[in-house]
Amino acid sequence: MSRNRIILFGYGKFGRSIADTLVEHGAEVILVESGESRYQASLKGGFKRSLLMDVTDDSALETLPVDPEDQLVCVMDDDHLNVFLVLSLKALFPENRILALSDSIHATRKLKMAGASQVIDLYAVSANRIHNILNKPIATRFMEGFLDSNHEYSFREIRIPEGSFLHERSLDEIDFRRYGVIFIGMIDVELGNSFIFVTTGLEHKLDSGDIIVCIGHDEDLDRFEEAIRHPREVME
Amino acid sequence: MIRTLRERLESKILHWAIGLNRSPRYRRLRERVTDLLENNQNPYKRFFDFFIIFLILSSVFILIWEVKHPVPAWLDYYDIYFVSFVFLVEYLLRLWISSDLTGDLVREYEQATAVGREFRLWPALVRGLRKKLAYMVTPAAIIDLLAILPAYRPLRVLRIFVLFRFLKLLRYTRSINQFVEVLATKRFELLTLLGLLIFVTLTGAIAIYVLEDMRNPAIHNIFDAVYWSLVTITTVGYGDIAPVTDMGRVIAMVIILFGIAMISFATSVIVSAFSEKLNELKEERIVEEINRKQEFLIICGYGQMTKMFFRQSEAKRYPYIILEKDPEKVQEALHDGYDAIVDDASRHETLARFNIKGSQVTVLCMSHDDVENIYIILNAKSVDPRIRVIARASTPKIVSKYERAGADHVLLPNQVAGTMMVTAILKPIMYKAIHAIFTGQNVALLDEVRVLEHSSLAGQRVGAIDFRAYKLVLIGIQKAETKEFLFNPEDEVVVETGDVLLVMGHKANIAYFRENSCLDERKCLR
Repeated sequence: MSRNRIILFGYGKFGRSIADTLVEHGAEVILVESGESRYQASLKGGFKRSLLMDVTDDSALETLPVDPEDQLVCVMDDDHLNVFLVLSLKALFPENRILALSDSIHATRKLKMAGASQVIDLYAVSANRIHNILNKPIATRFMEGFLDSNHEYSFREIRIPEGSFLHERSLDEIDFRRYGVIFIGMIDVELGNSFIFVTTGLEHKLDSGDIIVCIGHDEDLDRFEEAIRHPREVME
Repeated sequence: MIRTLRERLESKILHWAIGLNRSPRYRRLRERVTDLLENNQNPYKRFFDFFIIFLILSSVFILIWEVKHPVPAWLDYYDIYFVSFVFLVEYLLRLWISSDLTGDLVREYEQATAVGREFRLWPALVRGLRKKLAYMVTPAAIIDLLAILPAYRPLRVLRIFVLFRFLKLLRYTRSINQFVEVLATKRFELLTLLGLLIFVTLTGAIAIYVLEDMRNPAIHNIFDAVYWSLVTITTVGYGDIAPVTDMGRVIAMVIILFGIAMISFATSVIVSAFSEKLNELKEERIVEEINRKQEFLIICGYGQMTKMFFRQSEAKRYPYIILEKDPEKVQEALHDGYDAIVDDASRHETLARFNIKGSQVTVLCMSHDDVENIYIILNAKSVDPRIRVIARASTPKIVSKYERAGADHVLLPNQVAGTMMVTAILKPIMYKAIHAIFTGQNVALLDEVRVLEHSSLAGQRVGAIDFRAYKLVLIGIQKAETKEFLFNPEDEVVVETGDVLLVMGHKANIAYFRENSCLDERKCLR
């Protein structure tokens, strides 16, 4: 995916681990900090491209090297600062995707009003997780398997290449289980990249260029991706 | 000769005590009886209580009926023999379990032999019997005993003792019991008041007796005077006896004033006793309510996390109780409509109040304070290791401590939010999918279908189950025996009873699938 340049605001209790994980996944991260000590910490943490600036100052924010494809992530420790930052960023870079982390119920609403495209509420996701652990322990462990950095299974979006045997085939005809992968849905590009679950009763003829979403072990997914390059399905 | 007889008797009693004490059947019986009579959580105790209450009420009803109407013979027999017999048995059982006589004897015997002292039976027996006697003179035991007496027909006066049967209700109705308990907390005030009342009544009585005995035709003796004094002081004032002299009226006025003061004092004492105890009584009710459930949650702390937990759809479906140390937060929780009590979950007694043995209990440690959480975990696990604990931890470093303390599941809110954030940044589509699944949106519910005994799924091959017809996707199976999770299982895998199928699909489809795979409807309902 092309969208992997991230401008991360805040290197505090959340920012630090998020930044590390992002780098592990091969993303390009630019850190922005307003506190001197945390700025120094980020330099020590290996982020050479950290910037120190007053995030409440619009003229400073304007100087940021932001491309329209970049994602802006606000994880400042101070809730008030976070809301203010989202508001400023939305005004300066209305095209960009802005994500924010909230650690109180009140901040979540404000962040959304300020214009964040996606707000992750610390308490909401954790409470939800507890709820799921209680209710569906097996399903939860399985889902956590995706999120873990040393995951067992992956979730992959696969674009059907030109000349694939999947072209012009209906979904019912294809036996995904042969490849050890589970087909769970498609991405509808026309509907603004929204994801459609197979379980909604998807009846569709596949075309090259469609994006299908499968889950499976990495090797199986690799094998599947390789197999669908061929114009004819190879039967074993 | 006499000596040996006595020795033989002694050794016989001792053998008998030891034999009974060691017999597992005797012990089990004793435990069962204790449970039935004293454990509120025993399901049969309810029936037993209702039965006794019925006997009491019927007996009292017969007493009232008898005043004006002839009573059929069988009803009389029922009252005399059956009810009294049941009460006698109950009395004896209560006496039996009140203290452990054989246990006391055996313990003293063992102690004596251990130190090589000669064991003397009689003092030990007397000590044991004294404990029984101590029970017999408690008010409840006396009432029980008196309630049996009406069975003795020759003394007709004893009929009035049926009223003691009415008093027996005290033991069997909780609200009256609690009333008495509440009053008992104000024993000092009430006794002071009673003393004052007696003093003033007697003073008034003596005064009126001395002043009016000659002039007032209604006052014949000191008893009349006391009666008048009490009727006046309580502001009842029947008026059958009234003072006739000026001095008598002055005394009446004085004790009436005293009476009003004392009544208002008594009222305020009782009211304050209740207002102090009201919260406690309410909390007890909440705890009792939850203890009847088969499984329930004990949520420790009412903070942001707990609030968010309840915002989850369906979260209120679980039976739960919130424990919180801070009374202000408890007020907040009650205000928000949740059942909460002021209690400290890190205390042993707190968790022991709950019906841990009879139900599946899960403790949620929601505090942001690690020390407190770990303390609660250790406490819960020491009360009973079967208690499941899900705890929140603040940093990854401390997770190992949580695990050592015995937490079954540790959750790091920062990490959970962090991974979700990273997923949202790097894989926005997967984030949407996972978010939809986690929050249980209808289109993409990921749910567990447990294969029960009466399910048509048991014994089938995975390939033979047509998930597609139900618009479901089978993600995996957790096998019952190995607890191993098979992702995307092969067609040849056989589904067995106890397995859990992880399927994804619309809520309605999953429900339909569950219903359809069920051979015996009643037994498949979860």
